[in-house]
Amino acid sequence: MNLYNPQIGVIKKIKPESSNTNTYTITFPDSKLQKDFSSKPGQFMMLNIFGAGESAISLSDIVNNSSIITTIRGVGTVTNAIISLKEGDYIGIRGPYGNGWPLDHIKDKDVLIVAGGMGIAPLRSVINHIKNHRKDIGHLEILYGARTPDDMIFNYEFEKWRRIKNSRLELTVDSLPIESQFECQLGLVTSCFPRMKTKSRNSIVFICGPEIMMRYAAKCLETIGFRNNQIYLSLERRMKCGIGKCGHCQVGLKFVCKDGPVFNYSDIKPFIHPL
Amino acid sequence: MKALTIEKSNLNLLLQRFLEEYRVFGPIKPGSDSTFDEIKTIKELHLDYTSTVLPPKKFFHPPQETLFSFNIKNGKFTTKAIRYDDKILLWGIHPCDVNAIIKLDKFFLDDISDPYYKSRRKNTIIVALNCVEPSENSFCNSMNTGPYLNEGYDLLMTDIGTKYLLEIGTKIGKNLVEGLKLKTANETDYNEKEKRLKLMEKKFKKSMNKSWLNRIVRENTDHEVWLDLGERGGVANSFPCLSCGSCTFVCPTCYCYDIYDIMDLSLKSGTRNRELDSCQLVEYAAVVHNENFRRDRKDRIRHWMMCKFGAAAGGMNSSCVGCGRCIHVCPSKIDITEVAKTIRGG
Repeated sequence: MNLYNPQIGVIKKIKPESSNTNTYTITFPDSKLQKDFSSKPGQFMMLNIFGAGESAISLSDIVNNSSIITTIRGVGTVTNAIISLKEGDYIGIRGPYGNGWPLDHIKDKDVLIVAGGMGIAPLRSVINHIKNHRKDIGHLEILYGARTPDDMIFNYEFEKWRRIKNSRLELTVDSLPIESQFECQLGLVTSCFPRMKTKSRNSIVFICGPEIMMRYAAKCLETIGFRNNQIYLSLERRMKCGIGKCGHCQVGLKFVCKDGPVFNYSDIKPFIHPL
Repeated sequence: MKALTIEKSNLNLLLQRFLEEYRVFGPIKPGSDSTFDEIKTIKELHLDYTSTVLPPKKFFHPPQETLFSFNIKNGKFTTKAIRYDDKILLWGIHPCDVNAIIKLDKFFLDDISDPYYKSRRKNTIIVALNCVEPSENSFCNSMNTGPYLNEGYDLLMTDIGTKYLLEIGTKIGKNLVEGLKLKTANETDYNEKEKRLKLMEKKFKKSMNKSWLNRIVRENTDHEVWLDLGERGGVANSFPCLSCGSCTFVCPTCYCYDIYDIMDLSLKSGTRNRELDSCQLVEYAAVVHNENFRRDRKDRIRHWMMCKFGAAAGGMNSSCVGCGRCIHVCPSKIDITEVAKTIRGG
């Protein structure tokens, strides 16, 4: 099979998340492809709109290892083309690619999840994984920040996340419209750290969001005693192939598509902080 | 396997043999610079060249190619892969370029194998040519990638005066010269080869100490040379980098490419294409929300040089082979060997 050739997928369901963001459930019309498909939290797909191009999009939920659920915000050529699609429309897909979150490392540990904006998308399946394996994993803490309440996605999940046993959810926004009734803190996601319950002992941190936010979040955690190798980040880069050939996603000595997108902070620290 | 010799005046014999099975490409000299192009008559072949503008990478990883065509009907698409099955023979490739091909092979044909590179590469025969005259910018001997070759060829030629020594590297190479009634090489021929190659080693004008490179990539990522190259007055009589990307396009080990669609006016069909991209161009590392991971010119030129020194995701598979093409084409006269010297105080 040609690695560059996308398969046909069909959009089964579109769930609006915000004014320019939707969650898509995609399936393969080809039943064999559908049967053979499996993915892990943190992996990504290459989505195709012929004529517009291809874009790397992370899987935002994993159900029975088989569905393709992605959450897309219309911000570029390809994503805007996807946003204009309707249920029943066809879309090209390749993947899944990448390594995913190291879920085998979180057994019996406390988990801190720090997400910024759309960065919560690849982390939702981690939260679901913890919910489903509640006894095996320690305290769960989710710190989720966005620019405004309207930029937050998965609002309908927040109550469910709050009800997870032995967990804490804190929401924060950069700015809150005056008339907004949304209950949350004001400030960057790093401003939640002083109230944080998770201790550096026996814990793992997963961070995903804009790179500048991840840089500061990792650095803050470092100063309060978290070791570099406890922290994992999921990076975003320009990608054209998804298979480690086109060169665009290089970070230091690694390809984000092939060796990542999830990296241990100790491995990539020198390369994500500007010299 | 025994080596053979062929008189220079008899080269047509070889060409006719090659043409029976392959499209033959070799160095031609249409103007002041040489280039690899199709050879149909022996007159076109220009084997005493020093370097070409573009490396032979263009035969396996072309500057532009179509990956597949697509048709859209009622919103549903079908794709049709494009296959490249031409059997080609590359004649007269120098050791630096053969070493670059070995590196590209390792890169493109690793655990994830690029189907387009693979189909072209497996249909290619390499008749290499040892260097007896360096180009003014080459420094392959200091990178251990020349001026003579030990691997990666089907046939290997060395100029030994009025004739070429013809060494055989593979079974395909052996079959190619079988039945041509060429003379078996004797000791004098081998001695002549040794003598010429020894002489060649003394002719290099440029050099780069390989042992520096490991230290540069570990210790000198924040050296002021990068700012000099990117934003200030350049290094060692060069001008600052213009971010034109010429160095990457002529580099025999640069593999980066972009993928884009060309749509027919009807909006019903089109092609998906790839073309060489350059880490020197500002869009290369740009993502949405105006984020760019290498926005500054100094970051881009450093990224490229580090890649050539062996410290990028491609590892040694995209590192320098010392062909000197980037020095030849740089409009700012940036010389990678001088940059290494400036950093390491050579």
